[in-house]
Amino acid sequence: MKEKKTPLIRLAKRDGMEGWKVWCIRFGSILFALLLGALVMGLAGASPVTAYGTMISGALGKKSAIRQTIKIAVPLLGCALAIAPCFKMRFWNIGAEGQITAGAVAASYFALFWADRLPSPVLLVVMGLAGAVAGGVWALIPAFFKARWNTNETLFTLMMNYIIIGVVRWLQGGPWEGRKGSQIIPQFDKAACLPRVLGVHCGWIIVLVLVVFMHVYMNHTKHGYEIAVIGDSVNTARYAGMNVGRVMMRTMFLSGAISGIVGFIVASGANNTLYDGVAGGVGFTSITVAWLSQLNAFAMVAISMLLAVLSKGAETLQTRMAVPTSISDIITGILLFCMLGCEFFINYKLIFRKNSHKEAAKS
Amino acid sequence: MKKFLAILLSLVMVLSLAACGGGSGGETTPPADSNTSEPAGDQGSDAPETKTVKVGLICIGDENDQGYTYNFIRGKEAATEALAAKGITVKWVTKWNIKEDVSCEDANIELADDGCQLIINNSFGFEDHMLKVVDDYPEVEFIACTNQGSWNDGRDNTHNAFANIYEGRYLAGIVAGMKLQQMIDEGTITADKAVIGYVGAFSFAEVVSGFTSYFLGARSVCPSVTMKVQFVGSWSDATEEANAASALADMGCVMISQHSDNTTPATTAQSKGVYHTGYNNDMISVAPEASLIGTRINWAPYFEYAIEAVANGESFDQDWCHGMDEGAVVMTDLNEAIAAPGTAEKLAEVEEQLRSGKLQVFDTSTFTIQGAKLESAFALDTDGDFTPDSEEAVFDGAFHESYFQSAPYFNLPIDGIERLNEAFG
Repeated sequence: MKEKKTPLIRLAKRDGMEGWKVWCIRFGSILFALLLGALVMGLAGASPVTAYGTMISGALGKKSAIRQTIKIAVPLLGCALAIAPCFKMRFWNIGAEGQITAGAVAASYFALFWADRLPSPVLLVVMGLAGAVAGGVWALIPAFFKARWNTNETLFTLMMNYIIIGVVRWLQGGPWEGRKGSQIIPQFDKAACLPRVLGVHCGWIIVLVLVVFMHVYMNHTKHGYEIAVIGDSVNTARYAGMNVGRVMMRTMFLSGAISGIVGFIVASGANNTLYDGVAGGVGFTSITVAWLSQLNAFAMVAISMLLAVLSKGAETLQTRMAVPTSISDIITGILLFCMLGCEFFINYKLIFRKNSHKEAAKS
Repeated sequence: MKKFLAILLSLVMVLSLAACGGGSGGETTPPADSNTSEPAGDQGSDAPETKTVKVGLICIGDENDQGYTYNFIRGKEAATEALAAKGITVKWVTKWNIKEDVSCEDANIELADDGCQLIINNSFGFEDHMLKVVDDYPEVEFIACTNQGSWNDGRDNTHNAFANIYEGRYLAGIVAGMKLQQMIDEGTITADKAVIGYVGAFSFAEVVSGFTSYFLGARSVCPSVTMKVQFVGSWSDATEEANAASALADMGCVMISQHSDNTTPATTAQSKGVYHTGYNNDMISVAPEASLIGTRINWAPYFEYAIEAVANGESFDQDWCHGMDEGAVVMTDLNEAIAAPGTAEKLAEVEEQLRSGKLQVFDTSTFTIQGAKLESAFALDTDGDFTPDSEEAVFDGAFHESYFQSAPYFNLPIDGIERLNEAFG
């Protein structure tokens, strides 16, 4: 009894788990999530097997369904790529939502007022550049404050979201409003809309190019190396003579610029107009995408497709089986929770107290 | 290692079990479904032949709003019943709480892919997004309610629809005016204190047309009436609507009306001790001491007309607009307990005049703009700058509202109505 009592369960850091085991745990967690989801669907009165079938066929069963799914995946992927370098640097940029919106505003300005003055390809390039600069600047502001006065970037980037969304509301009801009182900005001219390739706006090509770019940037450049060092230890980076503030601002500008390009893609390719919900939560969902893929650019392609399938499938589920949309939201939530949660079991192991019943007998 | 495999194995077993369990569930449900749908078919088989139409409905809210979307659902149910009697079974697929953005485009694609032959978009802001989809589904008919860009866009499968709600507004105005006149006659208020407060959503043609017809109705029976309009900048914001109604009552308005989605102006009117007339829904139940009457669009006749045409493979009007003549505009129950005596008779009389076309709501001899009679006003905007530029709406002594297109276009500031603000105008 005098001995220090060991707790029933202890946590210990695991190191170097075999690759196949890691993947077993990951697949196991997905299956577990699907089971939990089936339970929820059962409670809602839908047959789980039919429901999952409906979700998959709804997302991938038809050409038009696949197009829709890809349309959902494009901004998720683009934005996950944007925030990856920040997160690698342990700079918590949760302002991608606002950076997307800022990019969309700048792109929309040219779409609305320059469409008749520039030929379509030039216009689209200008819109993309404007989106990148606007998104970059919007991200640079919190990075500057962080570098200069060490402000909290989480709060700062979050607050920046509300400001730019407010600006869009004002534009919608004020200077850019179409029909008086409608609160709607007119649809863009054809010249300002991204052309379609294989039935989906060509934003998908842009983000795939960005995937390769981001992979090379993070793994094979000096910049990428600096980001990794700062992420591991700011002091080490300083000791090695890196200008941490400068790298932070540079990385945030790049991150914001990519988000801004995503904003341009969404406004020009998918929506053909601008409204306050242009980012539509992508800035937050993509954080999940980035984490799930462990900041690996190629894994992000798969994860963003998975999330897109879930989201499109949930829509179809609601249409065909009259299941409330909130049920499909719950299922998506369970899945994400399990997938993120399983990383815990990959990094740590649980050690149960040994000989517990013997000890119980003694006492 | 062994342990790990054991866990893995047990997990697989549990999963396969669950899959079997789920499988049996999957087999039991579909028969239940077909059981429920078969009797519906049987009912229809009394008629010589049964036709089934799959119709999609995209709603900005859900039926719990007790206002705008609820009114569509009422129309949907009434139309379904009426069509069942004609041997047409309607299978509805409804999408709730869709926003006026790309999610509306997605919903249209979703419904078209699901096999809907007719897709109804219920909100003004849906049209732009709907129009992006229509060319990919030439065999599907698309309707954008309350908007104006579809019927003349050169396509065959796009439609607009609205109702002459200004007729209902005019009648509600008469009820309000008679109440005000009664108060003047009884000495409760002096003639110059007969002020109406109007809670409007936006300074938008549909709203302007609505409150102007309401005001003209009131003034036709109470010559000294004036009106103040407060815009709230939202179609549906319960708190702001209540605030606006409260502010109007404080400014001396003794009658409140509204063009917004919630019932809070009615309850506010009651708590302020003033009267109220409503929109979209009967508001007597929430404000029995204040609410006199309401008016609403009855979508059933249009839904019935459009769905029947689709069922028979016929084409139907690309721009549909009817009023009391087809029962597309209806009044809710009159609150006899507080309405002025003789209101019901007067209502019946004016309704008859509207139906027969003897009375024009926007009769140019009944109002002035900056002291002058309205001689000319354009109805339609053809060049896309959102200012009307074609089709003379003033002829035969009246401004012809909803004559050239279903969506309202009366957007003129007439004397006697004071706008306290402009909401994003």
